[in-house]
Amino acid sequence: MKTLYIDTSSDYLYSGIVINDKLVSSIKKKYEKDLSKEALPQVIELFNKANIIPKDLDKIIVVNGPGSFTGIRIGITIAKTIAWALNINITPISGLTAMAISCNTNTYKMPLIDARRGYVYGAIYDKDNNEVIEDSHINLQNLLNKSKDLDNVTVITNNDIDINLKKENYNPDILKIVNYFEKSDGVNPHLVNPIYLKKTEAEEKAGL
Amino acid sequence: MKDIYILGIESSCDETSCSIVKNGREELSTSTSSQIDIHENFGGVVPEIASREHVKNITLVIEDCLKKANMKIDDVTAISITYGPGLIGSLLVGMQAAKTLSYIYNKPLVPVHHIAGHIYANSLVEELKFPLIALVVSGGHTELIKMKDHFNFEKLGGTLDDAIGECYDKVARVMGLPYPGGPKLDKLSKEGKPTYKLPIPLNDDSYNFSFSGLKSAVINLNHNEEQKGKEINKADLAASFQKVAVTSIVSKTKKALKDYNINNLIVAGGVAANSGLREALIDMCKENNIHLSIPPLKYCTDNAAMIAAAGYYAYKLGRRADYHLNSLSTTSLQ
Repeated sequence: MKTLYIDTSSDYLYSGIVINDKLVSSIKKKYEKDLSKEALPQVIELFNKANIIPKDLDKIIVVNGPGSFTGIRIGITIAKTIAWALNINITPISGLTAMAISCNTNTYKMPLIDARRGYVYGAIYDKDNNEVIEDSHINLQNLLNKSKDLDNVTVITNNDIDINLKKENYNPDILKIVNYFEKSDGVNPHLVNPIYLKKTEAEEKAGL
Repeated sequence: MKDIYILGIESSCDETSCSIVKNGREELSTSTSSQIDIHENFGGVVPEIASREHVKNITLVIEDCLKKANMKIDDVTAISITYGPGLIGSLLVGMQAAKTLSYIYNKPLVPVHHIAGHIYANSLVEELKFPLIALVVSGGHTELIKMKDHFNFEKLGGTLDDAIGECYDKVARVMGLPYPGGPKLDKLSKEGKPTYKLPIPLNDDSYNFSFSGLKSAVINLNHNEEQKGKEINKADLAASFQKVAVTSIVSKTKKALKDYNINNLIVAGGVAANSGLREALIDMCKENNIHLSIPPLKYCTDNAAMIAAAGYYAYKLGRRADYHLNSLSTTSLQ
């Protein structure tokens, strides 16, 4: 079983290839602006290091949101094009779920991505990564209010968010994420689209 | 000689498009997903919405295009892609798809400038004859370009402010015509007479254009008549505006042809679909014995056939890009 994992939902490119339960090549690198330029060459590098070609792949897992709209579109377009060319399915997953899965803790988990102006993309998962509060574009204070009856919450984030809870930096455990979605059959690549969780300003203004 | 098939991808604004063109001249198939209906709700293209639509449609148009041509990507010679200029969020969707296809199928990647694409839309009609003057008129461009040979571009002049298509859309909006207003303004102008006096813009010795003054003149006229309680005859205003705008473009084009002693004119870009401009250019070229090429309407607006056609000549010239190719929102024609 050969799986390609791609997450471009933040300033980081997190990508890796898992072959038979082993992470054979991976990258975790921050890109300020050049993600559009660098994403594909870096993925190609992963194939080369893993000594396989795209046609060997059985499965692609891609983070379809939430986070940077542009970033997500880059990762999803690469994933869709590879999967379409190879006639294989894609398993689209939430980046917040990926964050929860990667965090080894016995507490509740609150993955957060800064969405500016006091808002975050956030969710709450229990220790077994079951959703307690679904992925939302939400005012941080509102999310904290919703979580106040839960004791022992760990925040997972790579952003500088001022919050009075135990915090962990997000360091994706690609092998664990891939294994978590082992049984997923995925969907036709044509149907894979970003989950923005937020309408565009134009749509909000127009009341659409 | 072996036939060359180029698969072109264009996503610089609000059309996701894929085409296959044989030997730079023969369009085998095109699939385009247009977003006009979506952006109509907002009175103009909303970049974020455009990007979202491109992601939804990109693999669908590629598949549809291949199906129509009854071809596989293995059968194409190279992949050409619009790298700019345009809306950056839109451009990069086509870019990622093109780069990925190029990698998976091991096909050369040929970068194409969007305006070069508009110019080469003409090669889908007839072979380009050099030297030529290219008049590029669209929502983002109003330029006169001299070409001595393939991909040899010398910009003679351009708009100093608004592009002609932009000016049409803005004037149309003031006149209460729905988006996209340019074509509707063109249609309305045929029902009227050019009775309103408007200033001829930038009537000088350069090859440059200026349309913001003309736009302001129409807005002021509209406003003044309203204040006087007079009703504007919209058809007449449209005809007056069209006459001045077209006269400005045609006279500068004529000057360029004359000054450089060039007998070939090609027209490119969305405003090449404007009936008033087409008629005036046909007349001017007849009078001056100029060979004129204007692409049919379907090649005037954004489409991937023009990117594949331009891609063919770029490919023949050895133009290639590697997988680091990036999209550029602004970039000069080359």
